[in-house]
Amino acid sequence: MTAVDAPAPQAARAAGQTGAIHALTWLAVRQIRRGAIVVIVLAGGMSAMVATTYASTVGDTMDAAALAALAENPAIRTLFGQPVALDSAGGFTVWRTGTVLAVVVGVWALLAATRITRGAEDAGHWDLLLAGRIPLSTVVMRHATVVVTAALFTGVSTAAALTATGTPAAGATLHGAGVALVGVFFAAAATLAAQIFPHRAAASGATVALLGTGLLLRMVGDGVDGLGWLRWLSPFGLTAISRPYHDNRALPLVVLALASSALLVAIPAAAAHRDVRGGWFAPRTGRAPRLRLLGSIPGFALRRLLGPLTGWAAGVGVYYLLIGLLAVSMTDFLADNPRFADLAAQAGFAGLGSVEGYVAAMFVLLAIPAGVFAAVRVAATATAETDRRLTLLYAGPVTRLRFLTAETASTATGAVTLTATAGLATWIGARSIGAPLHLEAALAGAVNVLPIAALCLGAAVFALGWLPRAVSLVGSLPAVGGFLLQAIADSTGAPHWVGTLSPFTHLAPVPDLAPNWTASVGMLITAGAVAAVGAIGYHHRDLRT
Amino acid sequence: MDAFAVRTVGLIKRYGRLLALDALDLAVPAGSVFGFLGPNGAGKSTTIRLLLGMARPTAGYARIFGTDAQDVRVTHRSLAYVPADVALWPQLTGAETLELLGRTGPGVDRGYRDELVERFALDVSKPGRTYSTGNRQKVALVAAFATRAPLLVFDEPTSGLDPLMEREFQHAVAQARERGQTVFLSSHQLAEVESVCDRVAILRAGKLVEVADVANLRRLHRSQVEVTFAGTAPQLDGVPGVEAVERVGPTRLRFTLTGPPAPALRGLATADVTALTIHEPTLEEIFLDYYDEVSR
Repeated sequence: MTAVDAPAPQAARAAGQTGAIHALTWLAVRQIRRGAIVVIVLAGGMSAMVATTYASTVGDTMDAAALAALAENPAIRTLFGQPVALDSAGGFTVWRTGTVLAVVVGVWALLAATRITRGAEDAGHWDLLLAGRIPLSTVVMRHATVVVTAALFTGVSTAAALTATGTPAAGATLHGAGVALVGVFFAAAATLAAQIFPHRAAASGATVALLGTGLLLRMVGDGVDGLGWLRWLSPFGLTAISRPYHDNRALPLVVLALASSALLVAIPAAAAHRDVRGGWFAPRTGRAPRLRLLGSIPGFALRRLLGPLTGWAAGVGVYYLLIGLLAVSMTDFLADNPRFADLAAQAGFAGLGSVEGYVAAMFVLLAIPAGVFAAVRVAATATAETDRRLTLLYAGPVTRLRFLTAETASTATGAVTLTATAGLATWIGARSIGAPLHLEAALAGAVNVLPIAALCLGAAVFALGWLPRAVSLVGSLPAVGGFLLQAIADSTGAPHWVGTLSPFTHLAPVPDLAPNWTASVGMLITAGAVAAVGAIGYHHRDLRT
Repeated sequence: MDAFAVRTVGLIKRYGRLLALDALDLAVPAGSVFGFLGPNGAGKSTTIRLLLGMARPTAGYARIFGTDAQDVRVTHRSLAYVPADVALWPQLTGAETLELLGRTGPGVDRGYRDELVERFALDVSKPGRTYSTGNRQKVALVAAFATRAPLLVFDEPTSGLDPLMEREFQHAVAQARERGQTVFLSSHQLAEVESVCDRVAILRAGKLVEVADVANLRRLHRSQVEVTFAGTAPQLDGVPGVEAVERVGPTRLRFTLTGPPAPALRGLATADVTALTIHEPTLEEIFLDYYDEVSR
């Protein structure tokens, strides 16, 4: 090649490279856009809703003494974070929605990041891509950048919603930045984990554990006076000590941004020296066979359940152990501060003054993990079908109905185990601080949410039969959608019938009150009918193998 | 038991507006090794999915040993299947996968399975995710052969195997035939089909274009004939079955022959033929003829 004609091919190469990067960005965007839109809308919508209804729900009930009592109570601080500016709509919104929103954005970002990086690589979707001229580290970074950008948009959406509802711009910006940075941090951590671990499940699991630890550090740091410094070690803690609408401290967020940047910088380094479809930890290349639970279709369904169930039970168990440990502190506080008990009653949590009333209110929330667990398990079956892992089993003398029954029964067993674990953990927590809570009462309260989990299972089976691409979304709807619907209907004064569409409206606060048997049986029958319609669809459709 | 291992009548499958399979009538006699050929997208895998009850027919029906293919509880007791692209549970080792398939499948001859593991040189201690394409195929092949099911359905089972394993596969198919098992083999490896199959069906654009014994199929198709003669050239104009007559030298002639050779031999008798070679077409050449027809 001569010096004269060298520039032309170089220019062409550069143009080609730009085109390739654009195509790569578009590939990543296509894979996360639906979920990203949901999270971005949720972040803005939730913040706007709470901020606009602040005057009607909280309004003048807050005086200085009440606020001081709230801020001093370690149980309140542990569960909901330290309340710092409840006298303003913005501060109240941060306290009420901040942690939930940060967890939602963080979990979404980490799952999206591992799905489109390690998941796509595991499934072999990247083989052709990486045979092209774009190196692995560029492909990984491009995907990470897209998830990070989506996380930043959740922050923009939060800040815009809070500014539009008239709260001070400085606080709104700081809170939005906090939410966004939590998302960025976990997107970066998950992408890094996806370079280290050779499978998607391990990468997701490690990052979820990191998120859980971060949440726990925030709770302990908020709840125990001497350990406040622990919050500097947790993304959730850092957003808490930035104190939006109060001190508006930028330094903690700068620390979080630096930590996220460090993770992002480490990704290309970690990706550069590994094999495609490999990680830093090599998978085991051989082991002795473990033949337990391989003898039948139901046995195998159970075998596949055990690993995920252990993870879910550990997470739910730790949370409800904490709920039990805080029982006395929380109920004493509410008994001493009737204004907050009134406020809680307005929000649908009546009877918080007694231990049983308090755990009953907390058990209502258990319907969400139990329902999502059921949906996610059925979605895993749908994925196994698409990935052709089930093909050889379908080629055996097993009817689809029998197969579906085994999957559904194992998932239901898992949901029962999960709720029982929560009940047991609450009881252990409550007993260890001497709170008056019977084991039967704790278990009754926990399993009382099973009808909602059954609705989720029924909806997921329905989707498996008729909408197999949307199993986790449709399956989560009764629990997550129902909860949001009830919350929105309660706080916006929507017509009564809107609220009754939510299964949560029909859930009795057990063990504080007796179970609502009529509603529970009704929900179980509905769940069974919906599942039966799903089974018909599953029997008649073509398998997606 | 029905005389036909597989029988389809007017089998139609539509995916939306796409007609994947157009009124397929197929009969596979029990005990035969049946080759199922066709270009990509001809409908071979769709047919197999219908035979296994994994897809539902738009019209018509498929029967396995006389039982409707949708009744998988009955039909799958007498068949074993190896898909084109085998996916295994990533966390199960080869041994665990074989145990699962053996215990949920139509039964297993454990002794034979161990022998097959040995013959296919399969390391069963490795987890599914670490297997190569060929090794995943070996796991599925060992599981299928070890069932001793009366019908073995193979969808391109050897695409990832090396020649040594390919030979093992053909050996195992021959053993299955000796035992009276029926083998339904969809494959692009025409040499393999030619060496193991008794009968072949050729599918094109969802329609069956040919079903014949492998030997007859050759006879139905053009052979290349080359003759060397002394003196005047033989008169072959207008002889039935003779086409593309070509003079390749002063005393040599080449032509293609379709159908029975008697008229051509009578024509050749008019000259002093000193040498005669007849080259029968390979399955590959026959198949390429069909390919050409598709592209035309």
